[in-house]
Amino acid sequence: MPTHTRDETDPPAPSPQLRMLVLIGVALVVGGAASLAAIALVDLVALLNDLLLVAPKARVQWESLPRLVAAATLLVPTLGGLLVGLAHRHLSPAGRPLGPPDVIQAVQFHRPLPDLRSGLVSTATAALSLGAGASVGQYGPMVYLGALFGGVAHRLRLGIPGLASIAVSCGVAAAISTAFNAPIAGVLFAHEVVLRHYATRAFAPVTVASVTGYVIANVVFERPALFRIDFPGVAHGYEFALVALLGVLVAGAAVGFMRLLLALGPRLARMIAVPALRPALAGLAVGLTALVLPDVLGIGTATLRFATIDGAFGLSELVVLIGAKVALTALCIAAGFSGGAFSPSLLIGSLVGVLFWTLLSGALGVPSSGAAIYAIAGMMGFASAVIGAPLTCILIVFELTRNYDVTIAAMVAVVFSNLVSHRVFGRSLFDEQLARRGIDFSQGRDHPHMAALRIVEHLTPETVTARAGEAPAEVDRRLAAQGWREAFVLDADDRLLGVYTPDPAAGAATVAERAQPVGLVFADSTDLAEAMARLRGFVGDAVPVVAQDGTYLGAVSEADVVAAWLDESARLREEENASV
Amino acid sequence: MRLSELALALALGAAPLAAQELTVVSWGGAYEAAQRRAVIAPFAEETGHDVTVARYDGTWSALDARGAAEGWDVIDMLADQARVACDKGLLLRLRPREMFSRDALADFTPRRPDRCAVPQNAYARVMAYDDRAFPGIKPTRIEDFFDTERFPGPRAVQRSPDGILEWALLAEGVPPEQVYGLLSTDRGLRLAFRRLDAIRDDILWWSDPSEPARMLAEERAVMAAGFNGRFFDEAQSGTPLDIVWDGRIIGTEVWAIAATTDTPAAARAFVAHAARPAAMARLAERIPYGPTRASAFARIGLNPDTGIPMRAHLPNAPQHGGRALIRDDAWYANTEALRARRFEAWLARGD
Repeated sequence: MPTHTRDETDPPAPSPQLRMLVLIGVALVVGGAASLAAIALVDLVALLNDLLLVAPKARVQWESLPRLVAAATLLVPTLGGLLVGLAHRHLSPAGRPLGPPDVIQAVQFHRPLPDLRSGLVSTATAALSLGAGASVGQYGPMVYLGALFGGVAHRLRLGIPGLASIAVSCGVAAAISTAFNAPIAGVLFAHEVVLRHYATRAFAPVTVASVTGYVIANVVFERPALFRIDFPGVAHGYEFALVALLGVLVAGAAVGFMRLLLALGPRLARMIAVPALRPALAGLAVGLTALVLPDVLGIGTATLRFATIDGAFGLSELVVLIGAKVALTALCIAAGFSGGAFSPSLLIGSLVGVLFWTLLSGALGVPSSGAAIYAIAGMMGFASAVIGAPLTCILIVFELTRNYDVTIAAMVAVVFSNLVSHRVFGRSLFDEQLARRGIDFSQGRDHPHMAALRIVEHLTPETVTARAGEAPAEVDRRLAAQGWREAFVLDADDRLLGVYTPDPAAGAATVAERAQPVGLVFADSTDLAEAMARLRGFVGDAVPVVAQDGTYLGAVSEADVVAAWLDESARLREEENASV
Repeated sequence: MRLSELALALALGAAPLAAQELTVVSWGGAYEAAQRRAVIAPFAEETGHDVTVARYDGTWSALDARGAAEGWDVIDMLADQARVACDKGLLLRLRPREMFSRDALADFTPRRPDRCAVPQNAYARVMAYDDRAFPGIKPTRIEDFFDTERFPGPRAVQRSPDGILEWALLAEGVPPEQVYGLLSTDRGLRLAFRRLDAIRDDILWWSDPSEPARMLAEERAVMAAGFNGRFFDEAQSGTPLDIVWDGRIIGTEVWAIAATTDTPAAARAFVAHAARPAAMARLAERIPYGPTRASAFARIGLNPDTGIPMRAHLPNAPQHGGRALIRDDAWYANTEALRARRFEAWLARGD
């Protein structure tokens, strides 16, 4: 039997009708709460942006006092970074911002999210980071905040397998649905990125939560769509090929961005010993850049809009802005500002798209349908490579523009971008961040689940051991009684010396003299996936497991390893195909 | 009238005051004529005060220069100008909670009375065109104002950055809710002026709000930016002009009291009287400027002279469709100097 512990102990299973009611109820509550929280976060950030002179409308009213604006530009992100760093250091047990990778990890392994306090600190520092104009995104924190509400379900014991994971996914879907006014994209994001399967048991409540978020954002609060665009259509057929080429180009940019982001973290940690100072210095870099290039401040809603206006940026301006935004976003996230990479990705991608369009129509004189289509295709191509959610990105375009032509153009860019980035880099930034924690989703969701199970938990109690000095006859008798053909020979300190196989023809005083070296040994850290791979071609009763100091811990039989593998596979298949 | 309002009106208006001289300052033209009949005359009749009407150009600087010397009491202002004047101490603090009941305050839309100003009507800056100039396809969108190829001919534009910058960005496809945010950036202003460059040679400048309608009537311009009430008035007198409601910029007109007033009680009584739903509805029946109180909408009927149902001609009438922009008074008040500077620079570049 699999002996790994799950946090969801299973009380007697309620009837399907009751389970359905519970799932829908949880979806409504979590979806509603996550949606309201997402709206509150957006409003709080907007308020901070106004108060701290990050928003253009706030900056312009002090336009007659340029020194005040310059001082705010430098000090706000710097001090904001310092506060963020101090808060993570002293208030948060996790000591770092939390985001989608933590949610994915919790949902995949049915574990609770990191502690609530760390989650709340992370949300507060996200509001502060975004409010102070750091070059980070708002969707990562929104997703985490939504997940926090779902995470409460972990404490419920309602007898529904995987309820907490489903509830967390509900929160995630509602947050995305609220943020983008895009309920279909919300559902897909939760499945594509977080759950990674499409079981009805999860799909139904996630959809309910996503629609709840949409209703709250649209009907109750009448929030404007994040990004509205009137788009006349694609004028020339060859533009779809150009958009595909753009997809390949933005994939290159996205891979560069993600590599830079991942490489900067350890480097900054070596260079700046005091962790709280890292975001402060990143904030200072943002402030200094913003003195000459205010477009880099914050989420960049205005800049995103400019990208859709023909000729809003000159060629050199675009190149500088793309470089600055890539460098500063990577720096801010690596330095420990709390926030995501999605909104900056949207901005960088759209700027790359505009650059492509400017070269195309300006330098080469190719007739085109205008900057907007390239901005949107670039935006989604880049962002989908970063978050690893092609379907979500395509649906976001569709739901935001409700325009079929632009959606198809964006879809072409998205798939070509993913084709390249998946091959060169990996499925997403999240997956790479998880891979660095030892959770590798690159081969699908089975492998990390198998890799999470330790072989040491499957030791067979009946194995036979022998002391080095024992007489072979005594050991032969014990082996015959247990029905085993091999005994593991240990020294006085329980260290494994070798394996002993009875042989009536050979004569020896002790088993130690007859012990053969062991062909296959597992360490206590060996996981199920690795064990399964190494068992290929193994012949014998059992494989000994030893601790790092060589101490013999026990042995696992081949049958037990296979059984554990089959059990875990069955559990995964059951989860992926559950109805209610 | 609600009981609470009656009590307030009695307390404010029917106080034991002798008949006093009150100077109300407004803008002249059809607007002032409507105000006289809808608001000023009924007030004078009810209270016995002697009300004289003065005219000004709508700027806070005119109030600063002339207000004290000419004994101005109540002033009709644009909301942003009132904000600036209030900050400069030129206006009396109103304490709206003492002037209006809680219900009445909640009735105001989209803005409530603030410390210096009581909203009195909603007007719109709209584009109108001379129907004779375009016998075939007519302009329907704000983009058409900037399209001199499809719609050639001179355009009447106010010699000020007000309104035209917003239109320039709307014509670039910027959604209304982002217009002021983008105009707050240097890039946004540059793009707006770039759009304006396209019609630079076709612009006919005006500075008196009555001019654009006249320019259309006299066929000096084929399109004009102006206020919806003036265009309505001109159309009533037989000029074949039509209003394009797309891109309308809805602004709020307020009543304010000069800080130098010598009859604050009578001035307050006037403002309270003018802010009644009945007075707002009477004004909207005479000139198509919408009321700023929700309860006034239901009272608006026919124009007493022409018999035209007036509700359809108000800037906030729901059937207009198209894009509508709510004028951001705070932004206007904050960016006055910047906009003026950039506009003058743009004008100078063309000379």
